[in-house]
Formats: sequence, C-alpha cells, structure tokens
Amino acid sequence: MKEIIGGSDFKKRLLIFCILLIVSIIIVLPYVWMLSNSFKTTMETLTDPMHIIPQEPTTAGYEKVLTKSPFFRWLWNSCFVTGINTIVILFTSSIVGYIFARFNFKGRNFLFAMLLFTMMVPAQVTMITTFIIIDGVGLYNSVWALIIPSFVNVFGIYLCKQYCEEIPKELIESAKIDGAGNFRIYWNIVIPQIRPALGALAIFTFLEYWNDYLNPLIYLSSTDNMTLPLALSYFSTQHSTDLSATMAASALIMIPAAIVFIIFQKQFIKGLALTGMK
Amino acid sequence: MIKSDRKFLLLVLIPIFIEAMIFLVIPILGTIGISFTDYNPIAHKMDPVGLANYKGLFDDPKFVIAFKNTLVFTIVAVGLNIIISLTTASMICQLKSNKTRSFFRMIVFLPCIAPMVASAVVWGRSIMNTKTGLLNEIIRMFGGHGIAWTGDAQYVMLSVIIFTLWADLGYNIILFCAGIDSIPGDVYEAADLDGCTGWQKFRGITLPLLGRTTTFVVLMTLISYFQMFAQFSVLLFKDGPQNSGLVLTSYIYKTAFVYKEMGYAAAISVVLFLLILVVSLIQQRVNKVDWEY
Repeated sequence: MKEIIGGSDFKKRLLIFCILLIVSIIIVLPYVWMLSNSFKTTMETLTDPMHIIPQEPTTAGYEKVLTKSPFFRWLWNSCFVTGINTIVILFTSSIVGYIFARFNFKGRNFLFAMLLFTMMVPAQVTMITTFIIIDGVGLYNSVWALIIPSFVNVFGIYLCKQYCEEIPKELIESAKIDGAGNFRIYWNIVIPQIRPALGALAIFTFLEYWNDYLNPLIYLSSTDNMTLPLALSYFSTQHSTDLSATMAASALIMIPAAIVFIIFQKQFIKGLALTGMK
Repeated sequence: MIKSDRKFLLLVLIPIFIEAMIFLVIPILGTIGISFTDYNPIAHKMDPVGLANYKGLFDDPKFVIAFKNTLVFTIVAVGLNIIISLTTASMICQLKSNKTRSFFRMIVFLPCIAPMVASAVVWGRSIMNTKTGLLNEIIRMFGGHGIAWTGDAQYVMLSVIIFTLWADLGYNIILFCAGIDSIPGDVYEAADLDGCTGWQKFRGITLPLLGRTTTFVVLMTLISYFQMFAQFSVLLFKDGPQNSGLVLTSYIYKTAFVYKEMGYAAAISVVLFLLILVVSLIQQRVNKVDWEY
C-alpha cells in the first residue's frame, strides 16, 4: 500500500518538476537570446535571428560599447550613487531605528507616524517639488541629485526599529553600567544584534539605486553624468539599428548583478522573506 | 532624561528631521500646493487657479485614457501575477529536495535583480521585435503571422503585461514560498491521513492558512503596479499607437518634465496618490485583523 502511494507521489513530483523546468526555460530564454545576439554580427541579427549559436561569433558589439561610449564613466556613476546611498541609509536607518525603539521623547509617536505616512506617497507626487528644490540649489545634472534626497529611508528605519525592539534590555543596561556612551552602545551592541535586518536592507537599497531609472531620467541630462539604466536606454535609441551592440550593453549591465545574486542568493532570498517587503 | 542621552538624541534627530522635512514632507505639501496653480517654469506662470486643474482632468482625453489604462494594467497584471506566483510557489514547495527547491527559487528570482530598463531593452529589441523577434519567429515556426507586439494598439497592453510578469513574478513567488513554509507540517500530515488529494490540501489548507500572506502580497503588488513606469517608457515608443500604452505615471512625467506644465502634472499626481492611498488604508485595516492560527 505504502509503495503505491509513494509511486503516485513520485509521478506527481516528476510532473511538477517538468512543469517548473519549462517555466525556468521560459525565464532564462530572454537572457540566452540577449547573449546570443550580442555575439552576432549586425547582419546576422537581421537575416538569421533563430540560430542560438552565432554563425560567425564576434565581439564587435562589446568593443563598440566599451570604446564608442563612456561605459566606464556610467559604471562609475552607478557605483558611486549606489555605494554612497547604501552606506548612508544603513547608518541612518539603524541609528534612527534604535532611537525610535529604545528612547522615550516628546513627539516620538507623532514623528514616527509622520515618517510612515510619507511611505504611502508615490514618487510621482514628491518628484515634482523635489525637482524644484534640487534645481533651485543648482544640483540639476549632477549625480548628487540622486544622493542628497535619499538619506532618510523610512522603510529602513521601520525595519531597524522592529529589530531593535527585540534586543534584550539587560544587554544595553549592562553596557550602560559599564560606562559605555550611547554611540558606543549603538556601534558595539545594537549593530551586531540587528545584522540580519541590515543585510536585507543593504540588498534592497542596492537594488533600488542600482536599477533606478525615473530619478536619473529627471535629473541627469548630459551623457557623461548618466547612471547605467538611463545610459542603456539612451544607448539603445542612439544605436537603434545595431542590435548586437545594444544587446552587448544590456549584457554588460545585467551580468555583474546576476553574478552577485547567484553568489549571495541565499541571503537575498532569506532577506526578502524576512522582511516580506519590496 | 539624562543629559548625555539628550545630546545623543538631538545630535542624530535634528539632521534627520531636517532632511525628512526637506525631502519627504515638503515635497508632498508642495506638490499638493502646486496642483492649485498653473505653475510652468518655462512660460513663467505661477498663478493660483483654484480647482481648475482638477476640473479639467476629465475633459482631458489623454488623462481619461491614462486613468483607464492604469486601472486595466494594474488589475489584470496583479490578478495574473497572484494566480501564477501562488501556483508556482506551491509547486516549488511540494518538491522534496532542498537543493532543487532553492534552484528553482533562484531561477524565478533572476529577472527581479536585473534592472527593469535592461530587461525592457532586451524584450523590446530582440524578443518582441516584429521582424526578427523571438516571439514572432516562434509564431511563424507554427505557421502563424507575426504580431506587432508593441506597435499595434490592440496588443500594447498585453505586451507590457507579459513583460511585467516575466520581470516581476519572482518577488511574489519567494514571498508565497515563505508563507507556505511557515504552515506547520503536521496540518498536512493530518490531511494525508484523512486521504486528501493535492488539490483538496491546496484549497482546504494552503489557501486559507495563507490568507495573511496573500492579502499582504495582493495589496503590496497593487501599490507597486500603480507606480510602474520604466517598462512603459522603454518598451513602448511614445506611449504606443493612439496612446494605447499611456499610464498615469508616464503622463505625469511627460506633463511635468517635457511640457513643464508642473501645476497640471501635480494635479494628476495627486489623483494617483489618492488611488494608492485607498489601497494603503485597506492594508492598514487588514493589518489590524487578528490572523492567528
């Protein structure tokens, strides 16, 4: 009896496995297509699109991206914006989250409610006035326009507050008795305790700023100042007849993130499930 | 409060408060204020016009189209997203081996980490291209005629929805997987003893016990899809033929930053905000419900 159940169970799982395999192929196929086209000659992308393996493989597309466009400039801009924002947001979120979790002060609840409310407001609302402010202080067409407005991240503060509330009281009390100052407690006790939250937050902030398109589109006008997503859309319209160069540029932007993800996938997926937020 | 605590709080909170005021609070109030003016930095206009911007909205055919398209896109895409991601997640969770489970989770999440713009460029130029795109090549292989995916008003929304699902399903699959994993295993064992079929288990256990996760995912996805912008901007050429792919986000962007009609754009953005606010308020209501099981 048991064997029969096991057998039908196995068949069912095999069926599920096959369906998931097909789903996976559909998901991966566009990447394969991108890579295949990026190594074809422009002629071949037009005349012979169905061959996955290029007939005359060439790196001309990649050479075009790397030599005919300021690709490394764009890469640097993206790294600069994403790097600074991630570090600053990790710092401000954890320290403010700690304060909201562990200190009682006048106006605390009001301040926190106000921050939470701003989370509901879509970027399309705030971007109009933010643009006027940024333009007013002369930061239009500067990468700093993507950095300075991002220092306070409400989601980050909320996440860190939740974790700081879980820290055992005795841990902080005993450090206080030992004479540790507030900043020292924050750095030596709070940070290590909320590390999982910070890991998840780092991933979200990285993805948010690395992939951001709307803000660069609004603020950056000269080619040299663009970040990668905006630059790619610009490059693709500039080279609208050259599919292989456009696919090479897309590949150059996607592959590093994909590699980082495959290495850290466990942390990514855990972090996402942990916070249940995007 | 101890003096050193006070110093610490002021030192941290004052700069944070200033930053939050300038870049979170003032932009909201400012945009609401601007929506009652005809502000246009190029035409040097900044006069109060009362409710004129709002009254003009429903006489503006482009706004009506954008509003309708936003609702259609959001409702259809979220509906399909939930059905497909829940099904996929429950399939992944039924696999025995931990390794295969995390392999499939990794694959479905892969498109989520790629910049939406890069994915949209790949799809627009080499998957949905009319002449040489993969989709049309496949259709032709089976003897059909190629479709102008992003060039035919009939198919524009369908194309954007297909692309969005490909690019965004992974998030919800992961969230549903986490939800299913948190259901105690003995509930399923009891069902097995009672001789329940897989579908009965899904309907009788997974769905009801996943109530909280599902509600949360539906509302969050609604909020995020109302604000989708990159794929409409990159995948489509000028919002598609006859504005068939025009949504509120792209209309706000164009009005504010191409035509510089910031007053009117602000009014449209407030409408988008109200749409999202309704969903957010429902979410807060739901959060208060006791979901213990």
